Amino acid sequence: MDSKIKLPQIIITAFMAGLFVLAALLGMDIPELISGSFTKFVMNGVLVLAMIPMINAGVGMNFGLPVGIVAGLLGMCMAIQLRMTGIAGFLGAVALSVVPAVILGLIYAKILNMVKGKEDIAAIFIGYSFIPIMNFVWTVAPFTNREMLYPVGAEGLRPKISLENYFGSVLNELFVLKLGKISVPLGLLLAYAAVCLLVYGFFKTKSGSVMLAVGENEKFCQLSGIRIDRVRTTAIVLSTVIGAAGICVYAQTYGFVELYNAPLSHSFPAVSAILIGGCIGRQAKISHAVLGTYLYQTIYLLSAPIANAILIPQMSEIVRMIITNGIILYAFLKQERRRRQ
Amino acid sequence: MGEYVLEVRNLEKYYGQNKVLDKVSLSVRKGEICGLIGANGSGKSTLMNILFGNSIIAGTGGYSGDVVFEGEKVQISTTTEAIGRGIGMIYQEFMLIPEMTVAENIKLTRENTKRIFGRALGSELSYVDWKKDSEDAAAVLEQLGFQIDNSYLVKNISVNAKQFVEIAREVNKQDLKLLLLDEPTAVLNDEDAGKLMKVLKELAKKGTSIIFCSHRLHEICEVCDHVTVLRDGKAVSDYGREELDMRALARDMIGYDVTAVKKERRNQEKKAVLSFRDFSVYMPGEFLDRLNLEVYEGEILGLTSLSGHGKLAAGYGVMGQFPVMGEFLYGGASMDVKNVRKTIEHGIFLLPDDRKNMGLLLEHSVRDNIVFSGFYGRNLFQKKAGYIFSVKDKKEIERYVKEQIEKLDIKCGSPDQKVKELSGGNQQKVCIARAVLVAPKVLFVMEPTRGVDIGAKEKILDMLVQINREQGTTIVVASSELEELKRISDRIAVFCEGRLSQILPPDASDEEFAFAFTGEEGEDGQ
Amino acid sequence: MMKKVRKDELIVPVTFIVFSILCFFLSGISFMFLAEQVALRFIRNIILVLALIFPIMAGMGLNFAVVIGTMITQASFIIVLNFNLTGGRGAALVLAVSLVAAAGVGCVIGRLLNKVRGREMVTSIVVGFLANYIYQLIFVAGFGTVIHVFNKKLVLSTGIGVKNMVDLKTFKEVFDNLGVFRIGEAKISMLLLAMIIVCGFFVFYLMRTPLGQKIRAVGMSEGKSANIGIDTDRIRVIVIVLSTVLAALGQFVYLQNIGSLNVYTEHLDTEKFACAALLAGGASIRKAGVKNAFIGVVLLHTLFVLSPLAGRNAFANASLGEYFRSFVAYGIIAFALVVNLRLERKGE
Repeated sequence: MDSKIKLPQIIITAFMAGLFVLAALLGMDIPELISGSFTKFVMNGVLVLAMIPMINAGVGMNFGLPVGIVAGLLGMCMAIQLRMTGIAGFLGAVALSVVPAVILGLIYAKILNMVKGKEDIAAIFIGYSFIPIMNFVWTVAPFTNREMLYPVGAEGLRPKISLENYFGSVLNELFVLKLGKISVPLGLLLAYAAVCLLVYGFFKTKSGSVMLAVGENEKFCQLSGIRIDRVRTTAIVLSTVIGAAGICVYAQTYGFVELYNAPLSHSFPAVSAILIGGCIGRQAKISHAVLGTYLYQTIYLLSAPIANAILIPQMSEIVRMIITNGIILYAFLKQERRRRQ
Repeated sequence: MGEYVLEVRNLEKYYGQNKVLDKVSLSVRKGEICGLIGANGSGKSTLMNILFGNSIIAGTGGYSGDVVFEGEKVQISTTTEAIGRGIGMIYQEFMLIPEMTVAENIKLTRENTKRIFGRALGSELSYVDWKKDSEDAAAVLEQLGFQIDNSYLVKNISVNAKQFVEIAREVNKQDLKLLLLDEPTAVLNDEDAGKLMKVLKELAKKGTSIIFCSHRLHEICEVCDHVTVLRDGKAVSDYGREELDMRALARDMIGYDVTAVKKERRNQEKKAVLSFRDFSVYMPGEFLDRLNLEVYEGEILGLTSLSGHGKLAAGYGVMGQFPVMGEFLYGGASMDVKNVRKTIEHGIFLLPDDRKNMGLLLEHSVRDNIVFSGFYGRNLFQKKAGYIFSVKDKKEIERYVKEQIEKLDIKCGSPDQKVKELSGGNQQKVCIARAVLVAPKVLFVMEPTRGVDIGAKEKILDMLVQINREQGTTIVVASSELEELKRISDRIAVFCEGRLSQILPPDASDEEFAFAFTGEEGEDGQ
Repeated sequence: MMKKVRKDELIVPVTFIVFSILCFFLSGISFMFLAEQVALRFIRNIILVLALIFPIMAGMGLNFAVVIGTMITQASFIIVLNFNLTGGRGAALVLAVSLVAAAGVGCVIGRLLNKVRGREMVTSIVVGFLANYIYQLIFVAGFGTVIHVFNKKLVLSTGIGVKNMVDLKTFKEVFDNLGVFRIGEAKISMLLLAMIIVCGFFVFYLMRTPLGQKIRAVGMSEGKSANIGIDTDRIRVIVIVLSTVLAALGQFVYLQNIGSLNVYTEHLDTEKFACAALLAGGASIRKAGVKNAFIGVVLLHTLFVLSPLAGRNAFANASLGEYFRSFVAYGIIAFALVVNLRLERKGE
């Protein structure tokens, strides 16, 4: 079992602790920051879970996360079009996004199965080239709800659709527990736990354990009569569906549905988060995703007000992206070293 | 004859725990052709790699012992250095760039250049003089007595021609002092092989020393001034030109120790269960060329050859691991090898030779490994638990795994232990238990005893025989261990250069086998 | 086999030509205007595209890290301006600093890519992103804090961080005074033009030297090349150094021609558009030549100029044309990757 906490995790955790201390020294509201860290954590948590099936099936990092996100956006747009509200609205949006997620996932899988061994670079560009296609769709799609459309002049959906009148913050406000000054969004955490449990459960089933085996040793599985491409396809579709659900959770916390180029900005942070959690790219556990998301998002959350305090507001975003890309690069180098051994 | 160009003293080399070279000494005089023969795993290639500074040597911990080149003790760590010292090497698989022309390949790294920009840029950055290169290439090819238009791309020329281009590249080197050849004639026909022999002799006359590895004994006898035989990493014998005798060489190479054939011969009905019809497999390094062979129901068929001569390819071809040509029939019906699942459902199963990369899930437990193929591939151990999901029948699995661990004497702490922690022998037993569960009609086993200690070896061989006798499974064993094949097989098919050379009964003499291995008798018939 | 490769090489350029013709009629602009626009963009982008050729020939695929070369040039401009060096001396210094720095950084990137064999492309993307944010960190937060500001005009009113826009007219004038070449409204310095020609010739020439032969050999088969005595690691580092240096030079020409610098955005996505251009010219991720670069830049930028205009004219919506444009740029890279990798797998 190599799920021990290793040096990178220790460094990152120490860095986070350091930020907390710095924030306290700068006189910031620590309880509020801690409360915020919970919301931030779950907000992005499901998107990070979307990495797991693909990594475990040996397909690599899901750099094509935008594909899943777009499916989720389609689901939410349909839900808004149908004026679904509240918890039911949220669940409706997730349900509506499953169908596009499966369809897009199948196409995505078809392409990735053609480029075995170089999935990550292909996935990046599948994401990049898929976004302009969707921009086209957002511009011409026949949605009629006024709240979704550009107010005047331009055609198509607006880049940021407010969820205030639909299902914004429905999970955040569900069973909020007050612990002194810290508020714990129990509903949100429970929802996240439920998704984690589902993913965990899946890997205990027969097709889940086949997936793990394919990720570990493709040749072995093939010689045992397992249809590799089919297993990989299942993993990719699963990742896409989780990605779709992930953006729904994200959007309800954020309060807006972000269309157009926004989906692109989620893939690298999500990849990086699971790596920070201790996954080095061959087997991903739920614990990697959970720990990674919490560390990653909390650092980001803390760094923003600190950067503001030292008068360079862009700093927090820049530092976050340096960490993001640095971790991914580190993982590549580390994987290579492992492969050579 | 002059002084020694190369002296090798007490060379030792380990790959991990494996000793592949054991105090090998060898010396070559100027202008001498030294033959080097040995079966697979005898250390030939390792010796060549050390002499040529292949990075694999340094990457696996280097070697001990001395290499003295031109009177100077050297430690050659890169091929660039070896080439700089005037050592050349011709590989069995060609080191030619397929997308370049013949001339470009011959002159690669030694191009002629024009001096339009003077010497300021250095020769690396001067314009290549294509015409002069082409002339040079043509000249050297002519010297070899081989005709080819040197503007052809190498990928489009025949295998024969490739071999000559490769030789031309080495011969073209100005100050070639020592030339290493690894099985250069394996792909040549007799006529071209003859040409090559002539070239080598001329080269030697001009003062280049040559180390010549080949399994074609008659060629060795023809050109070599002296011959060293390697077996199991040791230099077992050394013959001068006058003492050369093909029979002696063959025996030294294969080894003397023969154990009595334990198994009684069986009279079996010869009903073909598998038939190969012109079955070629494009497996890199193990090419199988148009195999025609019937496998009879209920037999144990041994496949053997020197390494790289095709014993493994038939099995992997059947399991769709490499591109194939020709036909493969199972019970009289033609099979699509690409559809591995279907092949397995029909009752054909394979245990690979590369256990770590193909035969085991190293990170999984012994239990998971044993039941994997049966559970996932053939849907065994499933029960419907009242609802739509089928679940593992844990009790049944537990019982089966326990039984197999006992029966095969798999030494493990518990069924939960990870397979990577077991020894090679126990890992192989796990593989066999996995195959037993699938209960195939035909089982291919690749190198079942490689990297396995002696105790486990016996158990594994017994088990194979037992599966054959009790379950009636037809077994095809590909192995380089002839003695083992002799003990368990009903027939032994020997391959040479990718072709079926002979099918021998297990009690055939060692000499017959030795000749089948080297294809010497097969050649008369061609 | 040969014939099939030829067809593959043609199919992408022909598709581009067909779309360009279609867009040309939809856009309703004059041919002169198009020629002027394309010529200008050609001058600005060609060297960066040339920079991609060596890594492809060495089997390392598309080198997305060329973007680092462009950032180095931008940084050199800012640093030289910070020392209040202007005019010809300043320009020469910028060029010298950026080329030397690019060679050094290229060496580091090359070594890094040697450590991730088989995944050079994705690594080069990540390295490019990483470098981008480090670059931003230096100029957003470093300037005025760690780095002393000598030229107050460069920084924001807070005293920390470089402004979004930096004026480079002082350098542009030097080049323009040495003689210009006019295409319609646009002026192109003769010196820059000469630089482009030299670069094109340099790449063409280098591939025909012994070094070029080694690069090709490494690209076609690294294992075999190592066995015939080529130091493959060294060749691969040289290739990346050349690529980074050319990229730096390319950005120098680009910025000279524009005369101003968007500090934080000028370099973004340039590497992807350069890759798209090369592929549009019929290159693959295994094979590319100077010819592909020249044809590709023309084709890609023709479409880039035309598609928003065509979108506005035909659908009364310019953004549709822009979406089409980004789709083409990214889609062609995705397409090339899939097609090439699939062919490779079949070939095995």
